[in-house]
Amino acid sequence: MSTAKRCLQSRWATPVVCLVAGLAYLGAGLAGGEPAFAWVGFGIMVVFGAAMLAASRFSETAKGLLDRRDERINALDRDATVIAGVVVILAILVMAIVEIAQGEDGSPYFQLAALAGVSYAVALLWLRWRR
Amino acid sequence: MKNVVRQLRGARDLSQADLGAALGVSRQTVNSIETGRYLPSLPLAIAIARFFGTTVEEVFDVDS
Repeated sequence: MSTAKRCLQSRWATPVVCLVAGLAYLGAGLAGGEPAFAWVGFGIMVVFGAAMLAASRFSETAKGLLDRRDERINALDRDATVIAGVVVILAILVMAIVEIAQGEDGSPYFQLAALAGVSYAVALLWLRWRR
Repeated sequence: MKNVVRQLRGARDLSQADLGAALGVSRQTVNSIETGRYLPSLPLAIAIARFFGTTVEEVFDVDS
């Protein structure tokens, strides 16, 4: 497969994922009797995917996020993902503690925190084995 | 880490966009490497050195 073809396929990966996620929101919302969530969620995802495609015409960062060829932008994406993950995990831990302090069982935050911990351990072992 | 990418590029009268296109990275990445804000991976460092017909040690000052 040529590099150009791979880049073209990669360029469309994010917009396609946005569309699929939007359709999932749409289906879930309509099935659950929440049409407002369904259409707003679908719209947000479609607009985000389209905005990324449009921005890639004038922004090197947006283009790099879509075609994945630039190692610096890939590193920026990876680091931003790590920061977002840490923020979410910290929020989950705080919420679990708040829930327990209020006499609740900590659900679902406790389970989410456990999932994060197990995922980290598995990822660490897998990465250690690969590198 | 200091480097001489800007000088090597200037000597060949290339723009950052030209060098980026040759290396398969963005103009921003070339600029970040030249200013020392981004340290390239070993494959990219080798690609830069090969592009200019020199060695990695000549391009990047490992002691700085």
